[in-house]
Amino acid sequence: MLMQAELVWLLAAVAKGDAAAFERLYEATRAKLYGVLLRILGRPELAEEVMQETYLKVWKMADKFDPTVASPITWMVAMARNRAIDIVRKRGESSIEEEPQALAVAAETPAPLARREMTEELKRLLSCLGKLDPEKQRIVLLAYYSGWSRDQLAKKLDIPVNTIKTWLRRSLLEIRECMGL
Amino acid sequence: MFEDDQDTLAAEYVLGTLSAQERDQAEALLSFDPGFEAAVRQWERRLGELNVMVEAVEPPPAVWEKIKTEIGPVGTAGGIELPRAKEPDQESLPLAATLTTDLLPPEAEPAKATLGQTPIDALAASSSPGPEPKKVERSADVISLENRVKRWRGMTLGVGALAAVFALYIALWQLAPELIPPQLRPPAAGMMARLEAPARLQQDRLVAVLQQDPTAPAFLLTLDTQHRNLIVRRVSATPEAGRSYELWLISSRFPAPRSLGIVGNDEFTQRALSGNYDVDTLRGATYAVSLEPAGGSPSGVPTGPVLFTGKAVESLPATPPQTPATPKT
Repeated sequence: MLMQAELVWLLAAVAKGDAAAFERLYEATRAKLYGVLLRILGRPELAEEVMQETYLKVWKMADKFDPTVASPITWMVAMARNRAIDIVRKRGESSIEEEPQALAVAAETPAPLARREMTEELKRLLSCLGKLDPEKQRIVLLAYYSGWSRDQLAKKLDIPVNTIKTWLRRSLLEIRECMGL
Repeated sequence: MFEDDQDTLAAEYVLGTLSAQERDQAEALLSFDPGFEAAVRQWERRLGELNVMVEAVEPPPAVWEKIKTEIGPVGTAGGIELPRAKEPDQESLPLAATLTTDLLPPEAEPAKATLGQTPIDALAASSSPGPEPKKVERSADVISLENRVKRWRGMTLGVGALAAVFALYIALWQLAPELIPPQLRPPAAGMMARLEAPARLQQDRLVAVLQQDPTAPAFLLTLDTQHRNLIVRRVSATPEAGRSYELWLISSRFPAPRSLGIVGNDEFTQRALSGNYDVDTLRGATYAVSLEPAGGSPSGVPTGPVLFTGKAVESLPATPPQTPATPKT
């Protein structure tokens, strides 16, 4: 993984139509985005489709990237996740049951993390998450990693959907409060 | 609590827990409400770092080939040589290890697992026919981590917030296996049909934001033109005792507004779409909410003040259309 500053620089070059920079940006970020997509979409074919869509969008929209409000990787991951979640929602809430690979991927949970990736923002987020009750931590993270809706969370965890809704809301407001950002 | 409601919607949009309808509504808000957009960006910033913990998986080489084809030739011909970045940090550690390094015996120093080079064997096997799996350390890493997880499981981690987060990973780890359905194996066919589904649905869905003041949407209206139903989400409008909110369709094709029914007092009102309005009418119409006597207008046309209005937009306007250009291999 390149340093954040290098990714910002690459994106700036991509915004000017620099195809070589785009290739390097792809090399530096493809595995992260594919990992995120595969976990949510479950199927490699779908994840590949969304990879293409996302990178084409990055190619076209690189000039919209604002390093003061996002880091390159969070910007790109947000774009990819959004599209992936739109797809799984519209495909129907139940079809996740047919996606063994999504769950197989989810089983690999703790991912390697380079020390240098431990940014201040991440430390702050983790310490805020750590202040939540364990059950609430779990739903927030499962939602993020798996792209599950409230209904799916309720079903998978066997918790009433209204409870999930309340927990999510409280957790998110607590995170906001705690992060002070 | 209106601001918190809006912010929770933004947060859940970013987190990904909204239903399809709610996502449409959030996306409609995004397209016209800079305040909501700012809230979404802020949440992307707050939660976005979580991606660091998602395991990187190497995509098949064909993905880049397709992207390259789409954008045109990627030039190395001109001799554009960009400065090569430093090698990836070899100091990679599982997150858990970074949290509890001091608990580790020295031999448990994790294997190198750099971002971008960690295929999951099974997936690599199923998705890429031939070419080199880049690295296989991943599996070693997983095994060693698993051992550590087993070892740590018994430990008391009362050392503050980060430790609590670590415990959470164990929880997730333990959680996931039970969720794996044993024998399911969906056929690879049907994939394309599924891929097409979202694109079609998007066009069947119209969203209108009904408001008086541009900074305060009162109702979000979603129309599913294919299934002929509508959902009204109450955002900021407060119920008035003894009165009812009534939803109207206003179209140049009709001399007077047509009632689409009473908006209930709950957050969501869902009902079948009355009347035989065609899609063009629905798309071109203005939607309005008036305040009527309890039970709705006695005369069939609005009698009370029209408080909120809005035009319908196709949902997900920002989504680029699927490109059928690349032939499937």
